[in-house]
Amino acid sequence: MSYTLTGRIQSRLVAALPALVVALALHRWWALEVVGLMLGIGLALDVLVYHRALVYQPAWAAVPLGAFELGLIYGAMRWLDLMAPVREAVGLFAVGWLSAQLLGRALFPRFRLDYAESGGELGRTGAVTAVAVTLTLVGGLGAAYAVRPPTVHLHGDVQGPLVIDHAETLVGGVVHGGVDIRASHVTLDHVSVVGGQYGVNVAHVQDVMLDHVRVVGSRLDGIKALDAGVMIHDCTVSSPADPLVTGILISYSMGRPMSMVSGCTVSGTREGISTHSSAVNIMDNHVTGTSTRGILLGEMSMDMASGNDVEGVRGIGIDCMDHSMCEIEHNTVAGAKPANGENPSAGGVAIESYFFAEATVAHNTVIASPGGVRAFDESSITPQ
Amino acid sequence: MRAASIRQQRMRSESDGHLAAADWPGLALRELNPAALLRTATNRYHPSVELFLRHAERVQERTGWNESFRRSRVERIVAVDGGFALDGEGPFPHVLIATGHPGLALPEPYAGDTRTVHAYEPHEYAPQVAIVGAGMAAATEWLNALGAGSEVVSIRRREPLRRPLNVPRQFFSRRGLAPYQALERETRAARLRELAAPSYPPGSAWDEPIAAAQREGRFRVEHAPNGAAQIICATGFNRGWMHDPLLAHLVADHDLATHDRWLVLDADATVPTLTGSGRTLAVSGVAAQWAYPAGDTIAGAKYVARAFLRRLCRTR
Repeated sequence: MSYTLTGRIQSRLVAALPALVVALALHRWWALEVVGLMLGIGLALDVLVYHRALVYQPAWAAVPLGAFELGLIYGAMRWLDLMAPVREAVGLFAVGWLSAQLLGRALFPRFRLDYAESGGELGRTGAVTAVAVTLTLVGGLGAAYAVRPPTVHLHGDVQGPLVIDHAETLVGGVVHGGVDIRASHVTLDHVSVVGGQYGVNVAHVQDVMLDHVRVVGSRLDGIKALDAGVMIHDCTVSSPADPLVTGILISYSMGRPMSMVSGCTVSGTREGISTHSSAVNIMDNHVTGTSTRGILLGEMSMDMASGNDVEGVRGIGIDCMDHSMCEIEHNTVAGAKPANGENPSAGGVAIESYFFAEATVAHNTVIASPGGVRAFDESSITPQ
Repeated sequence: MRAASIRQQRMRSESDGHLAAADWPGLALRELNPAALLRTATNRYHPSVELFLRHAERVQERTGWNESFRRSRVERIVAVDGGFALDGEGPFPHVLIATGHPGLALPEPYAGDTRTVHAYEPHEYAPQVAIVGAGMAAATEWLNALGAGSEVVSIRRREPLRRPLNVPRQFFSRRGLAPYQALERETRAARLRELAAPSYPPGSAWDEPIAAAQREGRFRVEHAPNGAAQIICATGFNRGWMHDPLLAHLVADHDLATHDRWLVLDADATVPTLTGSGRTLAVSGVAAQWAYPAGDTIAGAKYVARAFLRRLCRTR
């Protein structure tokens, strides 16, 4: 197809309609923001690059151009700290890309006979639809901006425990005594927490974001999420005040949106990152010096652990336990040491499946861990 | 019939080069073959002539094409009050002229030669064949003659261009058409001359048999037939409105604007001085090149027909 610039823009905007409908149906601001990014980046490429570089665009070019745009969108999401679950965001992009192919290759040429010779222009109906898509999106994003939670900057030391019972964004500061989050749509950004029973305690809420949160000296758990949907990025949990402290614990959250723990460093706790009856994506974390397990995917959880480094832990590196279903890929477990006692399931096992759990493993690296990769008690480990 | 005469197996056009009104589904999808779909995504699909003709028959049946026609010979079109008189009959307010190519072109040195046959006329191949021309028909004849075991002498004035379609792809859409239609007359004529240069598609299916024949000494390029037993003129058609009696009368009777061998037309392929709010005179096919450089293609016919229909809908 040899698009005119108007044709490119109209075709892109109208073809975004299915993705926009899905985003509106999801009732999540991030979905609208992702569609906004898709269209913003796409239109910028149309005007600045594609129109000049592609006098004629063959059908096969949709694949590399789609991959290129997906890469840019993902990069923009990271850069803008957009609180979008990656898998769902990619799914939304796929809806947009597939509908663009279906509409542009089949339905537009079918129902608008001069679509190709008009260079992708869709006439009056197309122009009206394109404007409607733009207005809906701008209106939606404007509404999201208008009702965004207030931002509170914390300065210096704040005596806690701090209870947050409405949507807001806390930035900076050092909170002593822990933070208790009891409202959805709360963000902690670059907040340090010292002491407290729990460093950060999230319960019965969702759309909570902990970004660059640092927790030291907690007495029960570093970060605890109970029946909650949380995104935890680039956190640090260290120096627990008790040997039984778990670094990050997410439990009984299966009914909530999938949680994510990424880019965190956890050291010196009893367990590094633990899940129970939850769906959590645990990726690119660094867990060191734990006393029983590095990462536990437990109690009927459906989790993914990928790209994590687990070093110098005692007992088990990564444990898929108790009827859980786990995907364990691209992790490195080094120097897992046997725990005290004769129990072979805690004998410096790098990756373990235990008690009716099902783990699929692929591309993991195991170094100096005498227990190796093993399944116990009616469990399975399946290489992918 | 012409495709059959030169034993053409595959169309030069692609999946959407068919006669149905909507481009989709194209002929590749109708083959129900994933390989055809893959080839069309990479612009390497060319439907077989057989598939194209079979589909054309179905379109004819579905649209009632044959029943909708009244065959009659028309020699003169004259503008009158309320439209146009066709050999005194009428008036018809809206007329679309689709006269096709005005006859086969035989270059002067070969026209009277008893060895000469035009590529579009039925023929067999002599043991030594001189093929005049360098376009799609000539390339097809090279392969046919080589396939029949003949020795081939290619006679051409210039090296052929290698182009997938008759014209660069942007000239099939507003992207290339809008700037083209905005050109000054002489520049536009120069562009049309450039686009009319003989060409055939790139690809090993064309190159390999010729390269093999060259190695065997069965294919060479020369300036004259030099005693070849048969001369096949793959030289296309006469060019220009003056070769078509109907158009020649029209131009003379109404003093229509022309530039070199082209009728000067508006962007919608209508004759500007004979088209207004109540009447339309449009030209299709090769005579519409001034508006649409690929006028002598199926895409060209559709372009003019759609523009004609849009105008009718406005004026009714």
